[in-house]
Amino acid sequence: METRKNILTEPIVDIQNVCIRYGKDPEVLSDIKLTLEKGSFHFLTGKSGAGKTSLLSMMYLALKPSRGTVMVFGTNVGYASRDAMAGLRRRIGVVFQDFRLLEHLSAYDNVAVPLRIKGMGENEIKKRVKELLSWVELDKSMDKICSTLSGGEKQRVAIARAVINRPEILLADEPTGNVDNDIASKLMKLFVELNKLGTTVVIATHSKDLIAEYNYPQIHLENKGLKIIPALRRI
Amino acid sequence: MKAKIQIARHAELPLNEDKANFFLQISTAISVFLFSIALAAYFMTSSMISSWNKNIVDGLTVQIMPPAETLSEEEELLRTNKVISFFEGLDGVLKVRKVSNEQIQHLMAPWLGKNADIESLPMPKLLDVRLKDGKTFDFEKASDSLKEFAPYASIDNHGLWLKKLIKSAGSLKILSLFVLALVLGATVFSLFYAVETSLKVHQNIVEILHVMGATDSYIAKQYAIRALKVGFVSSLIGIGLGFLALFVISHLSSGLETGLIGAASLNRFHWIFLFSLPIWCALLSMGMSFFGVKQVLRKMM
Repeated sequence: METRKNILTEPIVDIQNVCIRYGKDPEVLSDIKLTLEKGSFHFLTGKSGAGKTSLLSMMYLALKPSRGTVMVFGTNVGYASRDAMAGLRRRIGVVFQDFRLLEHLSAYDNVAVPLRIKGMGENEIKKRVKELLSWVELDKSMDKICSTLSGGEKQRVAIARAVINRPEILLADEPTGNVDNDIASKLMKLFVELNKLGTTVVIATHSKDLIAEYNYPQIHLENKGLKIIPALRRI
Repeated sequence: MKAKIQIARHAELPLNEDKANFFLQISTAISVFLFSIALAAYFMTSSMISSWNKNIVDGLTVQIMPPAETLSEEEELLRTNKVISFFEGLDGVLKVRKVSNEQIQHLMAPWLGKNADIESLPMPKLLDVRLKDGKTFDFEKASDSLKEFAPYASIDNHGLWLKKLIKSAGSLKILSLFVLALVLGATVFSLFYAVETSLKVHQNIVEILHVMGATDSYIAKQYAIRALKVGFVSSLIGIGLGFLALFVISHLSSGLETGLIGAASLNRFHWIFLFSLPIWCALLSMGMSFFGVKQVLRKMM
C-alpha cells in the first residue's frame, strides 16, 4: 500500500539545486528547485533572457545542468544511458518557439515522426495524423512541404507533432505566439484537455492575457532564481 | 523487417541530397577497383606459389643429352629407357614420364617459334619424374648414382631456382596484402569522414529527432541504408572496372605466357569471391556507417 502511494505521488519532474551555465559565461539559473506533480499545469514566466528556454531544454533532456540533480519520471538523468534518455524523451512532447520543423518534409510527415520513432504501423499513423491535422484545421495542407507553410500553420504543425504521441509531459515555448485568437483559444483548449487526461503541462509565455484567462500557477524566473506563483482560482 | 522498410521509406534525414554522396560514390568505386586488382594479384601469387611449391615437393626433371654421334631410333630409345628404369627403381619415385616432343615444342615456342622442327634440332630429351614425397627424397644420392649409371643424363632440380622465385612471389603477396589493407583503411576512413561531415550538416535535424526520442540506432539505420545502396552501386562500378583491367592485363600478358606464368591463374573460389565483392563492400559500408554514426553521435551530443 505504501509503495502504491509512493508511485502515485512520485513527481514527474524533480529538479534539485540545479545551476545552468553556458561555457564560462555566468550562470543563467542558480540553485533552483522545482517539483512538477503528475497532471499539473504551469505557466513559465519571466523576462526575456531569464532562462525560460534553458529550463525547458533541461526538462526535455536536451541540456545537462552544470550542477545539481534532475529526475524525470523517477530517473536521474545524470546517470541514464543514451537509450534510456531516448525512452524518456519519447514520453515528453515539446513545442519550440521557432517550431523546429523538418522543413523538407510535409506537414503530415512532420507530425508522423514521433509515431515512426515509436515504431507504430503506418495504418495507425495515417489514422491518428489525419485526425489531429484535421482538428488543427490543417487537413488541406497536410501534403504541403513545411517550408511553404505560413507561420501560424507551422506553429499548428509543431503543436500537433508534440501531442500526437499523447505525451506524459507537454513543454511548450510560446505556443500561441503566431496564431490568431480563435486558433490560440482552440490550442489552449487542447492543452487543457490533455491536462485533464493526465498530461503534465508547462507553457512558457509572455502573454498576461493568457495567464489571466486560464489562471494556472506560474513558475516565475527572476534573478537567476525561481518562485512559484500560485493560481488565484482553478478553472 | 517491416520497421526497417518503414524507416527506409520515411527517412527523415535528406541523405540523398548530400553533396558528400558523389564523393562517397567515386571514392568507393575507386577503392573497390584497386581492391579487386590487389585481391586478384594476391590470389594469383598465392596460386603460383602453391603450384611451385607442389613442383618442388612433388617432382624433378631429368635431361638426357643428345648423343655426340648419330644413333638409330632403337638405340636412342634404349638410352632413354635405361634412365627411365633407373628412376623407376628408386625408392620414393611415383611415376616417370617422358615429356613428348609436342610439349617440348610448346615450351620452346617463345624462343623458337610455334612451327620449329624440334626433332631435327639437338634438343635434350626430358623426363618428368613424380615423387611420392619430395621432402624425404635424397636428390644428391640419386644424382650421384645417375652420373655413374648414365653419365649422359642429369637431374635438373628446379627446386633451387623455384625457391628464389617463390621468395620473390612471397614479397609480391605481402605487397598485395599491404595494398589491400591500405585500400580498406582508406575506404573506412573516407566513409567515417563522410558520415561525420553529413552529421554536422544535418545536426539540426538530428537534434530534433533526438528530442522526439529517436535513439542513436534509429538515426544510424538511415545512414546504414544509404551506405548499403551507395556501397553496392559504387562497388559494382569499381568491380566492373577491375574486371576490365584484369582482362586487359591478361590479354597483354598472353604473349608472354610460359609454363610458369600459366600457374598464375584464378580458381573458381577466387572468381566467386571477386564477383561477390560488391555484396561484401555494401555490407561493410552499411556496418561501418551504422557504427560510425553511433560513434560520432556519442562525441557530438
